[in-house]
Amino acid sequence: MQIENQVQPAVCRLNGISKSFGDIQALCDVTFEVRKGEFLAIVGENGAGKSTAMGVLFGLLEPDAGHITFAGERRKLKSARDAIDAGFGMVHQHFKLYPDLTVLENVLVGYEGANGFGLVPFQERRKAVASLIREFEFTLDLDRKISDMPVDARQQVEIVKMLFRGASVVILDEPTAVLTPQECVTLYAMLKRLCAQGKSVVLITHKLGEVMDHSERVLVMRHGALVAERKTSQTDQGELAELMVGRQIETVEKISRIQPQVVASLQGVSVQSGSDKPRLDGVSIELRAGEIFGVAGVTGNGQKELVNAVMGLEKNSAGQIIFQGRDIGGLTVAERRQIGIGYMAEDRMTIGLAARGTIAENLIAGREGPSPKGAVREGHSGFSSYGFLHWRQIRDHAQRLVKNYDIRTPSAMQRVGNLSGGNQQKVVVARELSAAPKLLVVENPCWGVDVGAISFIHRQILQLAETGAAILLISNDLEELFELSDRVGVMFEGRMNRVFDRSELDAFAVGATMSGDEEQRP
Amino acid sequence: MIRSRYVSIIAPLAIIFLGVLTLLAIPQTRPVVEGFLNGAFGGRNHFNLFSTLARFSILLGMAMSVLVSFRAGLLNIGGEGQLVLGGLTAALVGVYLPGPPLYVSVVALLAAMTAGASWAVLAGLLDRVAKVPLLIGSLLLNYPASYLASYFVSHPFRDVASGATQTHRIMTEARLPRFPGTILDYGILLIGATAILVIALEKTSVFGYRVRMQGYSYGFARTSGFPTGALYYRTLIISGMIAGMTGYTAVFGLNQRYIDGMLTIPLYTWTAIAAVLLAAIIPLITPVTAFFFAMLATGAIGMERSADIPREIGQIVQAVIVLYLAGVGGKMLSGGTKEDH
Amino acid sequence: MFLDSAIIESIPRFFTPVLLAAIGSALCERAAVFNIALEGMMLVGAFAAVVGCVYTGSWMGGIGFAIVAGAAFGLIFSFFGVQRGGDDIIVSIGLNVLAIGLTAFLLRALFGVQGQFEDPRIVEIPKVNLGPVADIPFIGDLLSGQSILVWFAVLMVFATHFFLNNHYYGLRIRAAGQNASALRSVGVSPERVKTAALVACGILCALGGAQLSISNVTLFTEGMSAGRGWIALVIVMMCSARLPWILPTAILFGLVDAMGFRMQGLGLPQQLTEALPYLLAIVVLIIAFRRKSIRQQALGQSDA
Repeated sequence: MQIENQVQPAVCRLNGISKSFGDIQALCDVTFEVRKGEFLAIVGENGAGKSTAMGVLFGLLEPDAGHITFAGERRKLKSARDAIDAGFGMVHQHFKLYPDLTVLENVLVGYEGANGFGLVPFQERRKAVASLIREFEFTLDLDRKISDMPVDARQQVEIVKMLFRGASVVILDEPTAVLTPQECVTLYAMLKRLCAQGKSVVLITHKLGEVMDHSERVLVMRHGALVAERKTSQTDQGELAELMVGRQIETVEKISRIQPQVVASLQGVSVQSGSDKPRLDGVSIELRAGEIFGVAGVTGNGQKELVNAVMGLEKNSAGQIIFQGRDIGGLTVAERRQIGIGYMAEDRMTIGLAARGTIAENLIAGREGPSPKGAVREGHSGFSSYGFLHWRQIRDHAQRLVKNYDIRTPSAMQRVGNLSGGNQQKVVVARELSAAPKLLVVENPCWGVDVGAISFIHRQILQLAETGAAILLISNDLEELFELSDRVGVMFEGRMNRVFDRSELDAFAVGATMSGDEEQRP
Repeated sequence: MIRSRYVSIIAPLAIIFLGVLTLLAIPQTRPVVEGFLNGAFGGRNHFNLFSTLARFSILLGMAMSVLVSFRAGLLNIGGEGQLVLGGLTAALVGVYLPGPPLYVSVVALLAAMTAGASWAVLAGLLDRVAKVPLLIGSLLLNYPASYLASYFVSHPFRDVASGATQTHRIMTEARLPRFPGTILDYGILLIGATAILVIALEKTSVFGYRVRMQGYSYGFARTSGFPTGALYYRTLIISGMIAGMTGYTAVFGLNQRYIDGMLTIPLYTWTAIAAVLLAAIIPLITPVTAFFFAMLATGAIGMERSADIPREIGQIVQAVIVLYLAGVGGKMLSGGTKEDH
Repeated sequence: MFLDSAIIESIPRFFTPVLLAAIGSALCERAAVFNIALEGMMLVGAFAAVVGCVYTGSWMGGIGFAIVAGAAFGLIFSFFGVQRGGDDIIVSIGLNVLAIGLTAFLLRALFGVQGQFEDPRIVEIPKVNLGPVADIPFIGDLLSGQSILVWFAVLMVFATHFFLNNHYYGLRIRAAGQNASALRSVGVSPERVKTAALVACGILCALGGAQLSISNVTLFTEGMSAGRGWIALVIVMMCSARLPWILPTAILFGLVDAMGFRMQGLGLPQQLTEALPYLLAIVVLIIAFRRKSIRQQALGQSDA
């Protein structure tokens, strides 16, 4: 598999690295090198071992076997400190920042350059950081707190942090997951400049399009092993995808069956607290039966409030929420669930599921009480009566759903927290879909879920829409939105900035709207 | 992971077992073990066993009170104040309410439960309305309660003739009767029945289900449509009522009056919290751990008699158990990890 | 009417133990260690100070013993709570019970008494006499004739504030509290930083205890910390661990304590006046948290 070319010298090399957590082999005999000045991409599914490999390389995890060499010299990394000293820098997928500290303080922690008394020479360090920021044409206010800053600026802080320490190998873990397409362009331009300066860039991602566009060399990982190495110019997206998954991926076929009747509509809905400007500002949408309405937007632009208003978790301060011809603004969460509104929360470990509860317990949540009069829907007549639970029904129900939704578990009485991410999400899907909702609110259904489970979940959502339910799909993943949605609304600063029809969907147009650009209409 | 959890339980048990065997093997240290066993179970006609059971009764009551709160994820550590006010109220009603004994006894029980519940609800109101965290609010409320009780029994309602800071005795007919020939009273039946009810309902009722799930995750309960506010206050009321009832049994049973410090100095509430934690907040195991700690305390008294080791060794052992537990049990109360949020 | 020179003179000795514990607690709070074992740490400090005095015959021995005991409790907390990843609340409960049991146990094992221990060998911490200042009315009473620890405590407020803002380790303590894994990712062990905060907290609490047992009085009684650790915690919560606010708040509590003490002299029962600080604490918390929650709502939930 070795590619012979006029290669640059290797900056570092991983030799036969293995690492396991308990019974799970996260890395198995992985060997590769990073060369000077190259743009290397490492691709693989969730759980393929990319992050573990970087953790080992960065001194955060100790390998069970194998070793690392820097410039041909064998070194043992005891902590991230050693990796940083060896010239490594890493931007983690979840930023490693301190929200209440200023930009300057964030950059300095761990690299303070303290004087003999241990005091930090802030003036001097400030100048150094400021000149670095100018050099890369970032716009960062050194005295601003991280918590007040948008996501792309936070990422810039991470990059400054890394470069300030003189990193010559720059590792980025899923850097574009949180960026709009426009911001991605800026980021990649910056990374190319780093390469030109002779620094090596290692990009960890599952977005194959970006890999094809920007990298020079690709490593593919699967189940903890390195399965392929390709020059980017000699491969294509299809091959990489197949190598990544190890089989042909079935694409989900979308059939739109939108029916004329409106299931739910929002009319000028706002959410406001205190005297500040509303966090959700006059949003109006109509959801028809069989329609999947996607909501795009940079996190924190009112998506959460939109969901909360629909579910009754937060009161809408203005406007009306109509469901099946009835204003539901005054109904509680329980009442909304009873009339057929379902919710798959994004944070499944603490909101979507009770991780310490069993699968069976999780599967009846929301339907454990007495069924409302005249609203006995099929399949779930009575998990309790007179305030007492019917454990036999609960267990049968759980066993049925475990089978129907292919939840891989030894038993239905297993704790949900012990399941894998994909299986946990299947529990959520099973609970919500088995309630046969007329309106389902779905938030980022595929976070931290492996490819197999993703296509399963997507299929389930599409099938539900085909049966005539309306679906409100909030996602940070544009690909997912484009694949599933009939229409996509883009949120910016609490407003629904623009709604795209399926036919006019275009990553750049949507991206521009996400950053508040309304003028750029085609 | 699961294996290491078994090891962390079995290893200390094995060490303790070996330790006890060693103590028994050496003639000089034998009296220590004998003293412990005698203190916990021995005595004339097993008198000490009944002391252990009397202590167990109060500990079990408080453990159930703590369990109800903790199971719902409510960090109500103000059981002491609720217990003290329950006991004080029971004593005042018992001593000063005129009427037939049964009537006095029942009114005292209800009043004690109301007092305990009110104090718990007050902590709840501080939390929900004034946003003072329940952990802090409930704990701070312990102090006014204890000082108030202390003031009442040392000034206005003191049995001056007795010379001690305590109330008058409850009239004999109104007291909880004792099992013949022992100091154990019928209060243990009341507490035992309560414990059985709590344990059974937690598993079988919709209320228990919701409380449990809410304890696992509040966000989950909210999005599932549980009546979280009602669950919150009901849980606190039940928790406070059980604490108040426990105070009543101590006053009408074991001590027959309210004596200053009788409910605080033995650290009943903290021991009960330790018992609930040792049981990993699992209802069915809680009575066992409560009994274990009762035995530890009376056994230590026995050791003091036989080997002249101060009885506070019992509290030290208890503290060490709690610390060990914290080390192996992870974030049982705070929930989740604090990193990466 | 209450504010005569005797009251003013007594304010510093009432606020000093609480202030010392509050500084320690603020360090823990900044490092995101939820240490509610202040109470236990103060109690062992008070006891160790007495033991140190008795065995060395010097107040410095008392201070030394208190420092060692406080540091030891900080390390125990760190071992179970930080290194082993235990629940801070459970560790704290364990330590508080341990302090009660251990002091009572040792009181009998070492001195053969129960409840209270008095001994001529217990030497008082020297008082700082400011000479001419002592003659100024009120100010003289307040400033002169106070124990060394009073001045140390006040100094520590400013020193700690400066340390947190300007010293590299102070920066790391704040960083550890905000995002421990971020700190690890730049090669600094958050566990070590948290341990340092805990040890400092243990020492400060123990010194507060020493002020109780070998300065305010020269004796030890079981449970003599009497909830002051919780008051310190309330002060820190109320001030959101901002040190400049901690000093005036602690003084307020000292004032209430002093007035309560005076009211006892006027015939009010001791049990009621001793409850005063706790009632004040509850009122103060209500005000503080109301304000905070309103501000939080106005800001909206910012996801870090």
